[in-house]
Amino acid sequence: MKKMKIGKLMAIIELGLALVFTPVLLAQKKMIQIKGSDTMINLVQILAEEYMAKNPQSPIAVLGGGSGTGISALINNTCDIADSSRDLKEKEFNQAWEKGVRPRLFAIAVDGLSIIVNSKNPLTKLTMGQVGAIYRGEVKNWKAVGGPDLAISLYGRQSNSGTYVFLQEHVLNNKNYSPDMKEMNGNAQIIEGVRADEGSIGYVGVGYVIDRATGKPGPGLKILLISKDEKSQEFSPLDKQAVDTGKYPIARALYQATNGKPRPDVAAFIRWEIGPEGQKIVEREGFYPIGAADQEKNDKNLK
Amino acid sequence: MNSKTQRKAAFLVALTVTASLGLWAQATTPPPQTFLTTIYFDYSFNATNNGNLTGTDAANALNNKFAFRRAYFTYENKINDNLKFRFRLDADNTANITSIDFAKSSTKKDDKLRPFMKHLYLDWAGLLPNSSLKIGMVETQAFKVAEDRWGYRSVAKTILDGYKDITGVDTRTSSADIGANLTGSVNKYLRYGAMVMNGEGYSHPELNKYKKFGGYLQLIPVAGLNVWGYAETERLSDSATAQMYKVDVYFDMIPNLNISGEWLTYDSDNNFNKVAQPDGSTVNNHYNVRGFSIFGTYKIIIDKLNVFARFDSYTPDSTNDSKNIGLVIVGFDWAPIHSSWKIQPNVWFYNYKDSAKKSDVVANLTFFLSF
Repeated sequence: MKKMKIGKLMAIIELGLALVFTPVLLAQKKMIQIKGSDTMINLVQILAEEYMAKNPQSPIAVLGGGSGTGISALINNTCDIADSSRDLKEKEFNQAWEKGVRPRLFAIAVDGLSIIVNSKNPLTKLTMGQVGAIYRGEVKNWKAVGGPDLAISLYGRQSNSGTYVFLQEHVLNNKNYSPDMKEMNGNAQIIEGVRADEGSIGYVGVGYVIDRATGKPGPGLKILLISKDEKSQEFSPLDKQAVDTGKYPIARALYQATNGKPRPDVAAFIRWEIGPEGQKIVEREGFYPIGAADQEKNDKNLK
Repeated sequence: MNSKTQRKAAFLVALTVTASLGLWAQATTPPPQTFLTTIYFDYSFNATNNGNLTGTDAANALNNKFAFRRAYFTYENKINDNLKFRFRLDADNTANITSIDFAKSSTKKDDKLRPFMKHLYLDWAGLLPNSSLKIGMVETQAFKVAEDRWGYRSVAKTILDGYKDITGVDTRTSSADIGANLTGSVNKYLRYGAMVMNGEGYSHPELNKYKKFGGYLQLIPVAGLNVWGYAETERLSDSATAQMYKVDVYFDMIPNLNISGEWLTYDSDNNFNKVAQPDGSTVNNHYNVRGFSIFGTYKIIIDKLNVFARFDSYTPDSTNDSKNIGLVIVGFDWAPIHSSWKIQPNVWFYNYKDSAKKSDVVANLTFFLSF
């Protein structure tokens, strides 16, 4: 009697669950899910739109949230591709290993990370060391680095941003940012902040700082030339050759990461992004195409 | 919470606030702060009416109910990239004594959910490479790894904590305690943890001079295969000690499927049954608490729909098999609109080794809210 009652209950539950979930399962399409870098989001959205126009059978959804968010999503298996404007940290590789995820990185573009100030600031250049000292809060007035007698106001990103981490590792020598830094949600907010604040300094991807119509920095902004140290020559992130050759000291690759060998539809999209059509869009959007060494690594990782 | 615990909590709050004010003195923008509320409640239906547990409900003319089980409010403040502060209030209906009548030596109680402090700690990253040191009222290592892994605290507690109420056997373990908790990773193959705490949990002040010590090593020989071993020891009095050992194995080698196994044993000098001897005297018959749990989750649609299942075998008295309990839980985890709101229908089947105790079947519709 009791067994019959339990059996009936289970049958009712199973039938109910089947009725609820079957339509959901049937409606689910195999969409490529991309999450991560806010520096890359505009670029990857445009790449995805143009790819989908030619391949309507491959729907793609692109979300931001920062490189850290994208990498976490890859580790937790909630996206197919993580956009990251930095390499993975050792801690993230370890977490991935723990969860059985083996990240493969594909460089899809190169960015000259741009240090920007308000256009009224007469300063034209800084060394890497000076940028680091400013963002650590050790230098608080522009006068100390050859600028006007004006308090420096810092604009940066939140800690889940790949750009935040890249600058911290490569320019701040892994020290903490000044607690005075205003942590903005994205590149666009940093640009707005710098434009409105005469004593400001900010950092953004080169693709965000150039006015497409004029090919120059947008109104109210100035891009500083950066040198490795006091003895080195300074370069602009707009100098393609300097970025390509590594003479511009804060150039970086923009990555997409997958869990192991990408599945065929994901691989086809990445192959298109790093191919001639994709790279033309990369350049059009203000970033730089990848070099031969990155192409070779990408080809290896696609196999 | 009694006055001693409150004094400790107040001291920790004062210490934290003082330290934080010093660090914020130069800040012009407030550090990033997050607020998180998590609530779970059920509609439960007893499918049996003569089981060991459901029979009692039936006697009280109770076979279905709505119940709030837990509400958490968590505040976190990132002071800088290395220092974070966390404060969590938990609310359940166990802290429900509303007044005490000393003249009659009686208490009044209700079943309202009342908040109490669950976490209050500073989290300092980077004391050692790739490490985190938490100081204050912190999560215990005995619970955290398995609870994170099971992932369905909204549906059921893990085996270590899930049987205290129905067996009356206490393993003196708690999900939070006052002390210091260090965790870290050496490389991708090895993680470690060490902890020193009062040993009284979050509900009581320290009652003796002795402390509880615990620690773990976690090996990940290949990607997705984790073996975690934990040991803790506590001196209960000058003549008694207690130890607990746990071994967990986590398997994540198939996409969207995770399977875990957990084994534990608790051995306390205070756990014994008095056995009458033919001459009228009694001897103490020492027993252990043991159990194992196997659970798994499969993501059918990522971020939308998971199915989960669990099997527990719990032995509250190693000298008496008839007290053994088996539990099977199966269910779905469905986020129809957003991951902040989930519906988790689940069914529990209790089986008892003692043939006099009849099985229980309970169906729950659990609602999970997090915002």
